[in-house]
Amino acid sequence: MRVRTDDEVYRVDAVWLGPPRATFPWRARYVAWGVGIVVFLLVTAVQRQVGFGFDFINTGWGFVITIALTRFICARISHERPLSSVLAMWVRELTAPRETTTGRGGAASAARIRVAPQRPRKRHKGAKRASASARSQHRRQQDRRQKEVRGVRTPA
Amino acid sequence: MFGRRRDRDRRSAAHVAQHAAAARDDRKVYSKRGRRLPGEQSVPSYTPSIAARSIDGHLLRTGQEVYAWYRLAPQRWSFRSDSQRQDLIAAIAGQYAELQGRWMHLRVTTRPYPIRMWAEAHVHNAVRRLPDTPGTLSFDDYMVGEQQQLMGRSMAEKEVYLGVQVQTRNMMDRAVERAAPVLRKVFPDAVDAELVAIESEIDHLDQVIGSAGLEGRPATAEEMSWLMHRSCSLGLPAPRNLPAVPGAPWEPEDLASFTDAADFHQEPYAPTVTVRGRTGSNAGIKRHVAVLTVGLMHGLQIPEQDDPWVQRSDRLPAAVEWSARIYVRRPEEVSGELQRQMSKVRSQVRHYTDEHELDPPQSLARQASRVLEIDDEMTSGFTALGTRVRSWWRLAVSGPTEREALRLAQGLLDLYKPKIAIEHPEAQYAIAREFIPGEPLSSSAYLRRGSVLWAASAVPTATAEVGDRRGILLGETVTATRRPVAWDPWMAQELRDSSGLTAMVAGLGAGKSFLGGGIVYKTLRAGAHWTLLDPSGPLAALCELPELKPYARPINLLNAQAGILNPYRVVAEPQLDHFMDEEDPERSWRRERALAAATRRRLVLDVLSGLLPYEVSRLPQTRIVLLRAVRTVGGRPDAHPGMVFEALRRDASEHHEHAVVVADFLDEMRERMSLLIPEQDLDPYNEARDDRLTVLTMAGLNLPKDGVGREHWTDAEALGVEMLNLAAWLTQRSIYERPKDLRKGVWIDEAFFLSEVPTGRVLMNRFARDSRKWNVRVLLSSQIPADFLKIQGFVTLLDSVFVGRLDDDQAQADALRLLKVPVGAGYEQVVASLGRRPGGVRNNVERDRAPRQFIFGDGAGGVERIRIDFSGPHLEHLRNALDTTPDALRDGQESTEVEVSSPPQDPFAYAEQYTDEYDDELAADLEVGLTDELVDSAHGEGGNRRPGREGSA
Repeated sequence: MRVRTDDEVYRVDAVWLGPPRATFPWRARYVAWGVGIVVFLLVTAVQRQVGFGFDFINTGWGFVITIALTRFICARISHERPLSSVLAMWVRELTAPRETTTGRGGAASAARIRVAPQRPRKRHKGAKRASASARSQHRRQQDRRQKEVRGVRTPA
Repeated sequence: MFGRRRDRDRRSAAHVAQHAAAARDDRKVYSKRGRRLPGEQSVPSYTPSIAARSIDGHLLRTGQEVYAWYRLAPQRWSFRSDSQRQDLIAAIAGQYAELQGRWMHLRVTTRPYPIRMWAEAHVHNAVRRLPDTPGTLSFDDYMVGEQQQLMGRSMAEKEVYLGVQVQTRNMMDRAVERAAPVLRKVFPDAVDAELVAIESEIDHLDQVIGSAGLEGRPATAEEMSWLMHRSCSLGLPAPRNLPAVPGAPWEPEDLASFTDAADFHQEPYAPTVTVRGRTGSNAGIKRHVAVLTVGLMHGLQIPEQDDPWVQRSDRLPAAVEWSARIYVRRPEEVSGELQRQMSKVRSQVRHYTDEHELDPPQSLARQASRVLEIDDEMTSGFTALGTRVRSWWRLAVSGPTEREALRLAQGLLDLYKPKIAIEHPEAQYAIAREFIPGEPLSSSAYLRRGSVLWAASAVPTATAEVGDRRGILLGETVTATRRPVAWDPWMAQELRDSSGLTAMVAGLGAGKSFLGGGIVYKTLRAGAHWTLLDPSGPLAALCELPELKPYARPINLLNAQAGILNPYRVVAEPQLDHFMDEEDPERSWRRERALAAATRRRLVLDVLSGLLPYEVSRLPQTRIVLLRAVRTVGGRPDAHPGMVFEALRRDASEHHEHAVVVADFLDEMRERMSLLIPEQDLDPYNEARDDRLTVLTMAGLNLPKDGVGREHWTDAEALGVEMLNLAAWLTQRSIYERPKDLRKGVWIDEAFFLSEVPTGRVLMNRFARDSRKWNVRVLLSSQIPADFLKIQGFVTLLDSVFVGRLDDDQAQADALRLLKVPVGAGYEQVVASLGRRPGGVRNNVERDRAPRQFIFGDGAGGVERIRIDFSGPHLEHLRNALDTTPDALRDGQESTEVEVSSPPQDPFAYAEQYTDEYDDELAADLEVGLTDELVDSAHGEGGNRRPGREGSA
């Protein structure tokens, strides 16, 4: 029993030889023409952006670059690897997870936790509320800094 | 697991973003949804990094789809006829065709069975094993040696899973799933509604996949867990212990147990993807996985010339994982596409010829005709097999280093050359993810289109498995895979309820004795008891092995005590307590006793008429007088042939004269028949010994040469054959002297005589009947398979078969018949080429020490070509002992002769009570063929032997 795939049917090399009776000296697939047009537009746009003028020489160079780029792209695509999937695989390559070399985590540290030796208590009854509120914010902080113990390993 | 989340799950971009962030920040982002009780901590919600969301039974749900997973049954491929193989492919194709409009995900993975697991099973199975003899190879050392010999090998089992898309899920289904925790309290039915709704469809799929061909059955929870593990830890060694399988369905959170086991990463455009184990036995282990894909393919001749193309990868000495995405297309969809292709071709042709006046390329004409062909396949005849598929086939191999993985990948490329191109695509990470059930296809590149027949001809389930996983190691398979072969000779009787008959057929020097000796040695170590009948005698060397010596006894029957081969004694007397498990023990026992008596009479009749000169024995009256005399003596176990002589002389019928002549003839041979007639008041069976190995040899016995008809046998040769027959009965007797459950073995070498004597078939029937009941493995070896085929009904009684090299065409065909392998399908050449050295060494002075090959049919459906391998250094003494090839430079071995004494049988009174058991007796007579009608026919059989036997080994 001879078994074979149907792939041959789908590998029709659709080429455009040129306008009728005017055969180009090269044979390019339709997809190459499509890629070429897009590349040409891009190349021209880039040329304008960079500051090259729209003249014969520049456009000629644009054509040369277009042909080179198109050949480069078309060499990488085939019936097996259509343009769309080559692009998709390119995106997948870019977005694949990389090896993480920097370490994360490590020993847990409680250094940032403030530890007070005593819990705050209610103030003495005799103390005046007014005087308490009159204390400047700055002083209060300074006061606390003296009291507090920073870090479990360095007790005051 | 997969560092960065790539969620093509479009169900909620915001949700995804939230969880991607959650993954990054150690899941510190807490869900703000729902109200919590005061003081309740907010729990970060978890979304698996794979597409799968839940597993219910064999159903795997992703955001979009429901897949039903099946485990496919392995299919034998080797030694089947081409038509059987074609039927299998067509059956699979038919099943694929029924799945039109569905996606399938085919996964091939392996379940390793490392050699240490074999060792564990083997030791566990070795009950009542041989006690170690100090100073010799101990059982533990032997096991260590066995494992070292196969170091790194694995009896990995290929497992093939098929996921079939049941249906796509809609928004409602997903919403219900999200709301399940709440809904379960309010409206429990709604939660299960989705799966309940597709129940009938799943039943339909179960039935389609379960029919002949794929023979798939719904995957169990344990299998789903295994598949998910193997896929999410692609290329890593198998985990030593899997987490327990939950009784309830896997919720999304549970999937973390799969995804957390490993993570994947790769450099841009790297040729491999790195998989790093994180938990369990694989923690810290890194593997490089090269993912390949099947490229263009030539036409293949399956099954005539080519292997099934997925099975071909089994030849690689490493596990290959497969993942194939197959979409079975609807015919209308394909026909539209074909029309488009056709018009494309036409317009191209026009473009070339009309517009440019050029010759169109040949390929266009070919494509046009192929389009028509496909169209024809799809519309004519049995259209189901013309159904088309689109498919993507990926393979993955892994190695500890990138270099190693790429070397294996190159090996695969070479393996498939030149007919199938294997490509190594970029985007390794994305393609590696495709192996995980539920993941979408990552790239449409390397699309393979074809018919279902083409897809079915991949036959991933084809295996080359033979033997079991707990028995003794015989060697390894040498066809598609290199896999150690283990065989437990008592598994058939203990587990499969089949007979214990094994035929071993091989030409001279093809390794019969070596294989048999190895089996005996290894099973003895594992606790079996063996009785060997080796007429030529070299196997007595087994008894000299130091570790066996205290438990073994060689007996040269020719020098043994008189009467040891008394035909009345070699048939064991049944004992009542052996029939206690029957319905009516008494009755069965009586029947059995009558049968034993009839067998004795038949045996005596055969032996005596076999001893008479051919001309005399052919006379009808000889038969009549002998039969009458044997009847007179009866079938008591304490009788002996001498009594028959006397009965002959006392014959008072019209043939009296002839009877006296016959008695004279026999009396003349009396001295030579001393082994058959015990001396007065001496019983050679009265000494009891419990030997684990008894080797009966008959060195010096005269056996007829090949191709010599019965009529030309000398007296000595006739006596030789009869003695051999009696010795075979003696070995058979030995099985009844040991407990029923004990593993016993009997090996009869040179078993050709079984077809020469009429009682051979009776012996065979007894072996077949009692081997299961008495847990006996009976090995019968011969050089000519026709010897066995001549015994009526032998092939149906056979359990397993070893076939070694045979040169004769007819012998090869006969061997295939024994194996129940199609004859005339080209397998004869395989038999001829077993273990043959490549040409050009004809004049070699070195001995051919290459391991011998056999075709092994294990009786459980597996038939494979195996190489016998007892090459471990721990077995060197065994190899030396079994070396039967003559060597003038070696010191001659003298077989030790030991006082004969066989274990006893209680000589209990044998009352003459046959009168009331007439029916039993008659039935017994009929069973062993002891009737008067036999007179004419008995001597016709077994006369001519085909040429081919070169002499005794």
